[in-house]
Amino acid sequence: MSWSLLELTLRVAVVATLVNIPLALGVSWLLVKTRIPGRFVLDVLVSLPLAVPPVAIGFFLLLLLGREGPIGGIVHAVLGADIVFTWVGAAIASAVVSFPLMARATMVAMSGVDELLEKSARSLGAGPWRVFLTITIPLAYRGIIAGVLLGFVRALSEFGATITVAGNIAGKTQTLPLALYSAVLLRDDALAFQLIAVIIVIAIVTLVVHNWLLAKTIRAEVS
Amino acid sequence: MTPTTEPIVRIDIVKRFSEFTLECDVTFNAGVTAVFGPSGSGKSTLLNCIAGLARPDSGEITVMGSKVFSTNERKIVSPDKRGFGYVFQTSALFPNMNVWKNILYGYKLTPPSQRSAEPEQLAQLLDLTALLDRHVDTLSGGERQRVALARALAISPKLLLLDEPLASLDVSFKGVIIRYLKRVREELRTPMIYVSHSISEVIALADDMLVLSKGKPVAQGKPSDVLVHPDVGTMADYGTLENLLEAKVVERQPEQGLSTIDIGGVTLSAPDVDAQPGDLLTVSIRAGDIILALDVPSNISAQNILPGTVTEIHAQGPRVLAHVNVGATIVVELTPRAVTALALREGTPVYLIVKSNSVLILDAGGQS
Repeated sequence: MSWSLLELTLRVAVVATLVNIPLALGVSWLLVKTRIPGRFVLDVLVSLPLAVPPVAIGFFLLLLLGREGPIGGIVHAVLGADIVFTWVGAAIASAVVSFPLMARATMVAMSGVDELLEKSARSLGAGPWRVFLTITIPLAYRGIIAGVLLGFVRALSEFGATITVAGNIAGKTQTLPLALYSAVLLRDDALAFQLIAVIIVIAIVTLVVHNWLLAKTIRAEVS
Repeated sequence: MTPTTEPIVRIDIVKRFSEFTLECDVTFNAGVTAVFGPSGSGKSTLLNCIAGLARPDSGEITVMGSKVFSTNERKIVSPDKRGFGYVFQTSALFPNMNVWKNILYGYKLTPPSQRSAEPEQLAQLLDLTALLDRHVDTLSGGERQRVALARALAISPKLLLLDEPLASLDVSFKGVIIRYLKRVREELRTPMIYVSHSISEVIALADDMLVLSKGKPVAQGKPSDVLVHPDVGTMADYGTLENLLEAKVVERQPEQGLSTIDIGGVTLSAPDVDAQPGDLLTVSIRAGDIILALDVPSNISAQNILPGTVTEIHAQGPRVLAHVNVGATIVVELTPRAVTALALREGTPVYLIVKSNSVLILDAGGQS
C-alpha cells in the first residue's frame, strides 16, 4: 500500500466533510430552529441519500457533473476542467452520500439546546445569528463534532457513488475502498488484509472519539 | 413610588389558540403591574407578546410611546430590538458561561448611550459580587433567579417582564427574591410586569393588577380592590394568602427558641433565626392565622399583641379582608359575622394577636 493512496483517501474524505459542515449546520438550523414552509420536504430530501443505492446517486451526479451536464458544463466552460473522473468528483460523491448522517446528528444536537435559552438571548438584544453562534453552537458543539466524525467515517468508506462518478484510477481517483475492491478482484489477499486493517484503524479511532463525545454530552445533559 | 399618569404599555391584541382566545385591550402604568390568573388563562402568552417572543394574530402594542407591534402598520419589532428585560420562571441562564459573563451578555449588546445601569452596580444591588466567577450549574435556585434578574437589568431595560419568577423556588428563597425585587423597584424604578398566580406575591409587590381568565381581562386596579372583585374571588385561594413582610433582626433568644424582629417600627416575637441583629429578613404571616380584637386581651399565650388601625375592609362572599396598619400594613382574614359583631369600619382601632409560631421566617440561613 502506498502513502499516496492513504493521502488521496484522506483528502477526499476530509474535503467532503469540510464541504458538508456548513451545509449540515444550515439545514439543521432551518429544520430545528425555524418554522419555514416546506420543512417537511426538506427533511425528506436530507435523508434521501441514506435510502437510495449509492450507485443511483453516482448515476445522477454523473448526469449533473459530466461535461454535458448542467453543472459540469458550466465548470468546463469557465475553468476548462472536468469534475467527472477526478478526485474532486470523488469528494462530491462522498459528500452527498455522507451528508444525511452528519445532518441527522447535528439536528439532534441542536434540538437538545433549550429553546428558552435562545429566547432569553434574543430578549437580551442578540439577533438570530448571534444567538446561533454564541448560544446554539457552543451548547451543541459536542454533538455537532460527533456528527462531523460520523460523516467523516462514512465518507472514508464510500464506494458505490465514488466509483460511478470518479472511476477507479490508481493514483488519481482510487481511494482505499476502491483499492480494496481491485485487490479482491485480483485475489491479492495480502494487500486486501492490509487495506482493511488501515481502514479499520482509522474508523475505530474516529468512532471512539465520536462515542466519547456523545457520552460526555449525555452526562452534561443529565447533570 | 410616584406612578406617572401616562401609560407605560398600551396593548390591544388578539391571539387565537385551539382552547381559548387571548383578547386583551388594556394599559399598564409605571410601577409594578401584576398579571394574575389561573394557569392557562393566557398571562404568559400576554407577556411573550409584549416581549416579541410570541406574535399576536392582530392588534397593536405600544410601549412608552413607540409601537413595537402593529398589524395595521405591518410592523413587528424583533425581540432583540425591543430592549425589554425578561426573567423566566426557570432562570434560563446560559450554561456555557459563568455568572459574570451571563450578566455581561446583554450589557455588551446595549449601545453605551442607552446604558443606565452598570453591571458592577447591579451585582452589588443583588449581592452577587461573591458569585461572579461561579459556574451557573453550582448556584442555588434563589441565586440563579438573582443572576437572571441582574442579567435582564444589565440591558438597562425600558420595561422588565417577569414570568412567575418565584414559582419554581423553595419557600425559603421566595422571601429573598421578593426583597431584591422591592430593592429594584425602589432603586432603579424600572417598570415591571409581573406574571403570578400567587395572591401573596401580588399583594407584596404590585401597585396595579390585571386579572385574566380564559384569555380575557376580568378586572384591573389596586390589588386590594381587585382581589375581592366577585369574579376574582373564585380564582384567588385566600386560604394561602400570606403577608410577606420585610423585617429586621433585633435580637435572638436561642435558649427559648425565639427571636425579636422589627417590622415597620413594631417589634414582634418570632421563632429563632440563624442571623445577626441588624440582618434583613422576609417573614410571612398567614392572613387567616391572625386574630383581631378591640381590647387588649389579658392572660393569653400569644406573644404578639400589636395595636393598629383598620385602613380598608374588602368583602367577598363569606370572606372579608381587612387591612390593618400597625406600622406596616397587615392583611387579616375575617368572617362577615366577626365584622358585624365587632362593628369594624375603616378607622376602628384594633389589636392584632399573632402567635410567635405563626411568624414564618422565609430566608433561613440569612443570605442566599
